[in-house]
Amino acid sequence: MRVNFVLSEVATGLRRNLTMTVAMILTTAISLGLMGTGLLIAGMISEMKEIYYDKVQVSIFLAPEVTEEQRAAIQQELESSTEVASFVYESQAEAYERFRQQFSQQPELVENTPADALPESFRVELVNPERYEVIAAEFPNGENGVDQVRDEGEFLDRLFSLLNGARNATIAVAVVQALAALLLISNTIQLAAFNRRNETNIMRLVGASRWYTQLPFILEAAIAGLIGGLLAAGGLILTKVLFIDRTLAGPIRAGIIPQVEWDAIIWNSVIVSGVGVALAGIAAYVTLRLYVRL
Amino acid sequence: MANGPDRGPGLVPWRLVIEMQHVTKLYPASGRPALDDVSTEIDKGEFVFLIGSSGSGKSTFLRLLLKEDDPTSGTVTVNGKPLGTMSKWQVPKLRRTMGCVFQDFRLLRNRTVAQNVAFALEVINKPHRTIKRVVPEVLEMVGLEGKANRLPGELSGGEQQRVAIARAFVNRPLVLLADEPTGNLDPETSEGIMLLLERINRTGTTVIMATHDYHIVDSMRRRVIELNGGVLTRDQSRGVYGVGR
Repeated sequence: MRVNFVLSEVATGLRRNLTMTVAMILTTAISLGLMGTGLLIAGMISEMKEIYYDKVQVSIFLAPEVTEEQRAAIQQELESSTEVASFVYESQAEAYERFRQQFSQQPELVENTPADALPESFRVELVNPERYEVIAAEFPNGENGVDQVRDEGEFLDRLFSLLNGARNATIAVAVVQALAALLLISNTIQLAAFNRRNETNIMRLVGASRWYTQLPFILEAAIAGLIGGLLAAGGLILTKVLFIDRTLAGPIRAGIIPQVEWDAIIWNSVIVSGVGVALAGIAAYVTLRLYVRL
Repeated sequence: MANGPDRGPGLVPWRLVIEMQHVTKLYPASGRPALDDVSTEIDKGEFVFLIGSSGSGKSTFLRLLLKEDDPTSGTVTVNGKPLGTMSKWQVPKLRRTMGCVFQDFRLLRNRTVAQNVAFALEVINKPHRTIKRVVPEVLEMVGLEGKANRLPGELSGGEQQRVAIARAFVNRPLVLLADEPTGNLDPETSEGIMLLLERINRTGTTVIMATHDYHIVDSMRRRVIELNGGVLTRDQSRGVYGVGR
């Protein structure tokens, strides 16, 4: 294959349809950028699930006036229960320490919270997280030193359904954009093929192979896809630098939101660029097959 | 041109360049076949005029030889290879054995004469060295030495057709197909083009030329195949355009 020839054909093609090429690149970039964001959110969600779900499923908060015997009784009941996989005891001091860490970004809040404002508690992991009701029934609220039994899972479920919704919405918009990008690519390739019909007709007649004739068009689309992918990758990097590392710095340090590592950004960038190249190339190939006689 | 058994099976592949058997081509849009049960054979090195009025099937005849289209029924064989069973991948190889010239030249306007000819070699992956050697040779042969760096727009019609012929011939095809190559040219220029085609024919290349130009056909006295509404009505070894003209 004559590389120079193919490359100069590609360059001519991209230049000749400059406006279409730009439109194609931008739609591809937006679509891929949204896809990358969706992937990042998805990654965050699964990390958060690991952090939260694994730690605690049910919290048993103890009343302020709980007695030594009541506490021991609760502990014993937890130890003997077949529903409980494991549990930890958190004293008032420990609860306060954790609170201080979580809200280290909001010193006023920490200052205004007395050290004994947070109740002591048992943090319980269930064998089957769905069986919260059983535990709740075993420790009725307001009796035997128990202030309140709370299903942390319920709160987490709501949080995660919110995050899942955000992820799904992002990916849905990405898919719609991808559709627009594919149609644009298909159109651009048809236009490019029409512009170069003299060349391709002659190539066909003198016996140039199908590949030789098609490759410039496919490469043209693939390069546009790559540029779109790289722009999307740039967007992801900007998101990391400007949004995640700044606006979300506090919650991340507090351990509420998992850190988005550079690893994840780079991986998603590579994936997004690869998808851009592959989708554009395939779209071009299919277009040539279906609509263009080469 | 009888298909005699005396020819012997061993000789057929190299002597017979083109063979059509009971070829019918129907286009979906039209009720009348473009070619209707056409059978003919063309030997290596022949010069054949394909005549007939517009719509008589001349262009379809040429398209079938290039496998730009497939016949509705019947078989077309080029250089011993039946086109009906040829896969898509092999079509480019077939076309490398054929050169094509058209009434409208079909040159690339933004490339020079030499680049137009070189293009045909580049896209079939000929090495650079070969291209550098054969392009000037073929330009000299068609009488365009010294015009290698001109653009097609700067040339006369006859000269442009010479470029097209150079491009068709540079790869030394087995068959040269010419579809009304003199259709846009005045008689004098046409004569020059015919001399060139004759010269190419003398190198052993089979030339098949579709034309309306009875002056040319009458003066050359070559084989004439006449199509009339898709039917082969005449096949004469040293024919003229109109019988009894």
